[in-house]
Amino acid sequence: MRSFKYYAATSWEDAVAMLSKNAAAQVIAGGSDLLGWIKDDLNGPGAPRADLLIDIRTIPNTSYVKFDAAGGLKLGALTPLVTVAESADVLKNYPGLAKSALSPASPAIRNVGSIAGNLMQRPRCWYLRGKDFACYKKGGDFCFAVTGENQYHAILEGELCYIVHPSDTAPALIALNASAKVVGPGGAKDVALDKFFIGPRTNVLKETVLEHNELLAEISVPAPAANWKSAFIKVTQRDVYDFAVVSVAVAGQIEGGVWKDGRVVLGGVAPTPYRATAAEDALKGQKIDEKSARNAGDLTLVKARPMSQNAYKVDIAKNLIARAVLSLASA
Amino acid sequence: MAREKLLGPLGESHARVDAPDKVTGATRYPGDIALPGQLWMKTLYAHRAHARIKRLDVARAEQTEGVVKVFTARDVPINEFGLIAFDAPVLAGDVVRWIGEKVALVVAETEQQARQALDLIEVEYEDLPALTDPREAMKVGAPVIHPHYANNVLKHVPIRKGDVERGFAESDVIVEGAYYTPMQEHAYLQPEAGLAYLDEEGRVTVQVAGQWTHEDQHQIAHALGLPDERVRVIYPAIGGAFGGREDMSVQIILALAVWRLDQMGIHRPVKTIWSREESILGHHKRHQMWIRAKWGAKRDGRLLAAEVEVIADAGPYAYTSTKVLGNAAVTCTGPYFWPHARVDAYAVVTNNIPAGAFRGFGAPQGHFAAEQQMNKLAKRLGMDPVELRLKNVLREGALTTTQTPLPGGVVALPQVVQVCARAAGWKATSTERHVADENLPQGSTSTRQPLATGYGFACAFKNIGFSFGFPEGASAAIELHGGTRVERAVLKIAGAEVGQGGHTVFMQMAAEALGLPLAQIELVASDTATSGDFGSASASRSTFFAGNAIRGTAAAALQKWRDEERPAIAIYRYQPPATENFDAATGRARPNIAYGYVAQVVEVEVDTETGQIRLKRVWCADDVGKAINPQLIEGQIEGGVVQALGYAITENFVTRDGHVLTPYFSNYLIPGVLDVPERIESLILEFPDSEGPWGARGMAEMPFIPLAPAITAAVHDATGVWFDELPLTPWKVWERLHERSYTPHS
Repeated sequence: MRSFKYYAATSWEDAVAMLSKNAAAQVIAGGSDLLGWIKDDLNGPGAPRADLLIDIRTIPNTSYVKFDAAGGLKLGALTPLVTVAESADVLKNYPGLAKSALSPASPAIRNVGSIAGNLMQRPRCWYLRGKDFACYKKGGDFCFAVTGENQYHAILEGELCYIVHPSDTAPALIALNASAKVVGPGGAKDVALDKFFIGPRTNVLKETVLEHNELLAEISVPAPAANWKSAFIKVTQRDVYDFAVVSVAVAGQIEGGVWKDGRVVLGGVAPTPYRATAAEDALKGQKIDEKSARNAGDLTLVKARPMSQNAYKVDIAKNLIARAVLSLASA
Repeated sequence: MAREKLLGPLGESHARVDAPDKVTGATRYPGDIALPGQLWMKTLYAHRAHARIKRLDVARAEQTEGVVKVFTARDVPINEFGLIAFDAPVLAGDVVRWIGEKVALVVAETEQQARQALDLIEVEYEDLPALTDPREAMKVGAPVIHPHYANNVLKHVPIRKGDVERGFAESDVIVEGAYYTPMQEHAYLQPEAGLAYLDEEGRVTVQVAGQWTHEDQHQIAHALGLPDERVRVIYPAIGGAFGGREDMSVQIILALAVWRLDQMGIHRPVKTIWSREESILGHHKRHQMWIRAKWGAKRDGRLLAAEVEVIADAGPYAYTSTKVLGNAAVTCTGPYFWPHARVDAYAVVTNNIPAGAFRGFGAPQGHFAAEQQMNKLAKRLGMDPVELRLKNVLREGALTTTQTPLPGGVVALPQVVQVCARAAGWKATSTERHVADENLPQGSTSTRQPLATGYGFACAFKNIGFSFGFPEGASAAIELHGGTRVERAVLKIAGAEVGQGGHTVFMQMAAEALGLPLAQIELVASDTATSGDFGSASASRSTFFAGNAIRGTAAAALQKWRDEERPAIAIYRYQPPATENFDAATGRARPNIAYGYVAQVVEVEVDTETGQIRLKRVWCADDVGKAINPQLIEGQIEGGVVQALGYAITENFVTRDGHVLTPYFSNYLIPGVLDVPERIESLILEFPDSEGPWGARGMAEMPFIPLAPAITAAVHDATGVWFDELPLTPWKVWERLHERSYTPHS
């Protein structure tokens, strides 16, 4: 592993100031993705080497789960996934989020991996992670997945680069209309989480709106409305310790078996968590049954443009949407 | 059934002698061992599949702070190594033939300094065309990869028995298939590591994890141009092997560094530890094979003729490919009697990672084709697959495709087939489910649906020990100490404890042979300075060879004891009956010393919407001859099944132009704790082998071999679709189940 300098930040402002001063700095929280990334010794504009790691675990009061019925949920950026998954408030009010926080990796990684880190982790594309491939994200001019192995790649919204966003909690949080508190040189601002992630057409070198000297400090989830339900389902190739082939998070207000309002978000299918607005629109005001649930899935995937090896994900995504929507009606 | 004889040390599930230290963390693996003043070594790999080295300049690297020396091909006295042929360079000097080819070694004060100096080594390459498909590489006119191997064919094994054309003409049904089996990574817990130094007698000593101390010693000595006795190899604890440590990894390069530094007047130990990625890129893989089979049978199920072509990807160097190929040639027609057979098996040189030994050693590939063929034939004939096996399995005295009978003792193929089928509740009639359902869990918690359940059957045979004329044998020494009575016995044996429980079994057998309690046996193991050549901990041979060596040594030691020698010291070498290589034209041979026999029934659940397959239950009947330690046998069965489950379903080793796309455990998916079957039923049979110690056969590879074709049979039972390629990844399963076409994006 390449050596780097280390700096223990004392406050968000301190961390922002250090980032502003050091172009080759990276931020470390749990480190479960970043340290592997450094060991892989990747290099390029979208995969910069870190000369300096700025540790934000040393900032006080950044790990917490706060809930109240009026204000909703606040998650400190450094809150371990296990804490989110096991929080009684989260389990009771946002079961889909709890399940999504329980699904990444292994217990050991969920004990150190933070909720913000799960949102900020880099994509798993084999070519991006392979030292021998100069792809778009590494500043090259080629996507090796188009003519190569693409069974895990995007079926929606891929262009130039066909990564999929690997986070499990991102779809769950977007389904719950969460927002991110972003701190930077100009202070703090709120960004809706469904505007937080960006695709390769906007900027192929990164996956979020954050600038180099901005940090994700807190996640807020609105208080659940009456009759609000949520669910999360993930399909993996291996039953443990695996990234989503496809995941789906749904959150909806269900009254008398009718979908009043809600969100459907897919993971593992597009360069960003994919908001299935076609499904959301189709479900609105509909009684949830096999037909409306299947219809929601089918409409979402009309836009799918699978690659040579990943058409199976289209069917899985359709079926998962149907299963998840139906599960809300029976929950 | 193995539990009747619980009186003596044999047949008793004695706890592993190495368990307390491993459980408490006291055990030291090669990477844990440190010596004062040690230097660190890092390796520069080519990361090119095929290229000529135009220029190699290590000057800047050597001037870096902390760097002691950089070694290149020029520093290797005899720059070649290999288990069956000295055809691979220790360090590449002119041409690199695969991505993991070693180009230079940096030795520095710290690991970090060595690591950073790698970046300062300047190498200029001229890329050469990379041949990565053996079917292309063996075509006439393809560029030759290695000067030793014309047409890139490393080895061709032909087998000819009877008259295949007549056999097909007399057949009522013909079944044809084309099969593919993938590369597989050993994924042992402990990545390669080692420490080298000159010992008190001035021997170049390497502490490393391997499978065959004396072969490591020999290959090191050859490369350094030293007599074998100037080199010493010691195995401390070994974190798994599965065949992956049979060829050289860090052994020679560590010895080279220490030896050359010593000549420079630097008398310091050298240590290296490979990362997981280096391990995956740096050691050989299971051979990928393409197998075409055409089988003919009579309407009553009698097999008549088989024609099979096997193409194995060897990578650029021989490693153990010719032997693996021989096994694939023998097993690709299954454990069945054939009046007529024609097999052509080829090992082909390519620019992929070298292929070599891996649990099963060619038999999993051969049996995947054979058992798929057999299950398809059963379907075609409308015959129960178990009944079809019983009609055709080899029995005592029947001539195999190499025109010789199986070796002495019971050929327990009918027994493993019947015991397994009976235990699983296999039913012959098609109106009933194959397997009794009373044990199915009530109410599934799975979110997967709709689920289809299926059952499959497969059986297999495999040799014990090294084959095809190799001069097999194993040495041991025993010292008996005491006065009027033996107070303690020291067993010196080089056999490797690779995690299988070998050392426990050795001690149990020594206790039995000497008539002593286990507590009086001391073991000195795995050091070329204290023991003679044991051979390899592979080919399911350790128990078989150790047992025979220990029995002979114990008898000699006890004789000396009776002759009042104190201590009574005996050295003995067991040599089994000789085997024969294939006849060059017909393949006629008595290739093996002994065999093990196995049959399996599996239950799978297929999610037809997602293409996911879950292995639910496995019944495995394994004839072990004599169960020395039943619990360790169960461990081998359970471990073999889970490793084969990875081979069949989850482990997808992907390369592109010779580069590995799956060098991480995050994308090379070995089964996890939730992926293992809910139940694995170990059915241990004891039909003695006439050459085996106390009748024992080897068994460590057997449970791996039939699992993949049993799974594909079960998936067919569940879905009606045959899968002829491994692994059964969800996208492949889904694609075949749906046969729906989308326009691929370009």
